[in-house]
Amino acid sequence: MTRREHLRNLVLLGVVGLGLAFLPHGLSVYLRSFALFTMMYVVLALSWNIISGFTGYTSFGHVAFYGIGAYACAILVADHGWPWLATLGVGAAAAAVAAVALGYPVLRLKGPYFAIAMLGAAEGTRVVATVWDGLTHGGVGISFPSTENSMATYYAMLALMLVTIVVAYVVGHSRFGIRLNAIREDEGAAEALGIDATRYKLAAFTLSAVFPAMAGGIQAYKVLYIDPPSVFFVQITIAMALMSMLGGKGTVIGPIVGAVLLYTAQELTWVNLPTAHLIAYGLFIVVVARFMPRGLMGFAIDRGWARKGMVH
Amino acid sequence: MERSDVRSFYILAAFLVCAYALPFVIGVQSGTVHATERWFAYLTTVVLSGVLQGGVYAMFAVGLTLIFGVMRIINAAHGEMVMMGAYLTWVCFFYLGLNPLLSMVLTLPIAFLFGMALQKLLLHAVVGQPELTALLVTFGFGLVMIYVAELIFTTDFRTIPFAPATIQISRRIAISQNKLISFVMAVAISAGVYLFLKLSRLGKAIRATALNAEVAMVCGIDVRRIYLITTGLGVALAVAGGALVSIQFGFNPETGIVYTLQAFAIIILGGRGHYVGALIGGLMLAVLESLVSLMIPNGTAMVELAAYALMISVLLIRPGGLMGVKES
Repeated sequence: MTRREHLRNLVLLGVVGLGLAFLPHGLSVYLRSFALFTMMYVVLALSWNIISGFTGYTSFGHVAFYGIGAYACAILVADHGWPWLATLGVGAAAAAVAAVALGYPVLRLKGPYFAIAMLGAAEGTRVVATVWDGLTHGGVGISFPSTENSMATYYAMLALMLVTIVVAYVVGHSRFGIRLNAIREDEGAAEALGIDATRYKLAAFTLSAVFPAMAGGIQAYKVLYIDPPSVFFVQITIAMALMSMLGGKGTVIGPIVGAVLLYTAQELTWVNLPTAHLIAYGLFIVVVARFMPRGLMGFAIDRGWARKGMVH
Repeated sequence: MERSDVRSFYILAAFLVCAYALPFVIGVQSGTVHATERWFAYLTTVVLSGVLQGGVYAMFAVGLTLIFGVMRIINAAHGEMVMMGAYLTWVCFFYLGLNPLLSMVLTLPIAFLFGMALQKLLLHAVVGQPELTALLVTFGFGLVMIYVAELIFTTDFRTIPFAPATIQISRRIAISQNKLISFVMAVAISAGVYLFLKLSRLGKAIRATALNAEVAMVCGIDVRRIYLITTGLGVALAVAGGALVSIQFGFNPETGIVYTLQAFAIIILGGRGHYVGALIGGLMLAVLESLVSLMIPNGTAMVELAAYALMISVLLIRPGGLMGVKES
């Protein structure tokens, strides 16, 4: 991609960011929080995509990092009186440490075994959060002191989303990203070319853990209450995977498009089909995975509506 | 066996010994272990009922391992199928007045057809695709099953009062009758399926497909038909597991996920795709779980953690599990 195209994309992102920055003043409380959660899912899907899309290691337990971030924020704010913005950094650091400790052994596994191990790790983290009463208050959960926070959390999430997009974009276009793709296509060949696969995988995994942790922290502060089942919810991982897949796994724009589309669709069915929305959601997962494994971007490329280069 | 293979087996064995010893160590420290005759009788009861439960776990894990072994598909809805079996049995019991064991005559063929339909409509397309596709398709399908069950049966916990009496083995050791019946049924069904796979022509074709689908195809085996039968069999085993679970424990539409993860842990411990491995894994996991729930404080949550920790450790120490299954 040329320099001009990079510049164009940067300007585009700036315009979108500016638009979103002015948006909340005209919105109702409901729409503002809808926008916030949409941005959160963009962050989650993009981060998941770094390890699972670029590198090809399907993480089925990424919610663990989101939950760690949420708990870091809740514990420090509610029990120790920290300013909440500072706790996001602590959450990110905790998630990074967890990612290195977990990733170092688990990233040796391939394909379905990595996916299952991550699923087990995430469920295990949930159980630890439930059992470790002294730190997490166990199954009772943690409530925050009540505050007016809808603007602060909105801007925090917006900033986080912009940073995540820039990082994902830079990774996608750097030598680092190309090496991750090489690992995805053929790990043995990549190693034969002198790529230290273990190091690169670990770096990608850690990077993909940091942003969900911050998103989890912001989310916790937004809803002012967390408990283990809600922040270690398996379906959050599924949403990350599904959104990336819907848009186009392994691209930068794909997960963004997927997150916006899917979250909007989810909200609409929730409002309009209160009894059956979860059934509809399940069916939707099945249909997307079954008929569109390469996502909308793959669909567009196949029909010549998009160039391969544009997607990345 | 190669040397590295032997070594990883010994490491795994040592790890398992430690895993079984750990509940005792923690138990001694937190004062839940007492060196009295009464406590040992209690321990025996718990381990015995663990073994009995393990037979049932092993049976539905076999269903998962069959599907995985033949098609390399992880059925993330396996626990939901166990849950479906429990509800089918419940309906038979309360509306048709059928004995839970007799109702299997009715529910297993239904489950077999259900599995074939599932294979035909959804899974044929995802065989050979990246693992994420199969995981998402089956997970999404599991969600549909959960919420359909909630619509029909609500989220209330259900139980089936069947053979609740206890059998006195000695003065202090007693086990409940339904556990024993479940175990006997599970062993009979697992043995039956094992003999079917070992001896019948169709069973051999299934094993050949699991070994190498392309070569099987070249030998004139209709691989798609084998896939249909395998999924039918796998779902039928899950539903049978559900029937046997339903007479021991309460269930609601959301109990499935725990069974899914247990079955994952079992097939990984035993060696994925390995039939006998799944049976051994089922017994071992259930016994470990019963030790954990007996001696570790906060036991019920810790039981889950034990399964996950065991699964991840086995994957790391010896990905082929006890049976040392090699990647094909």
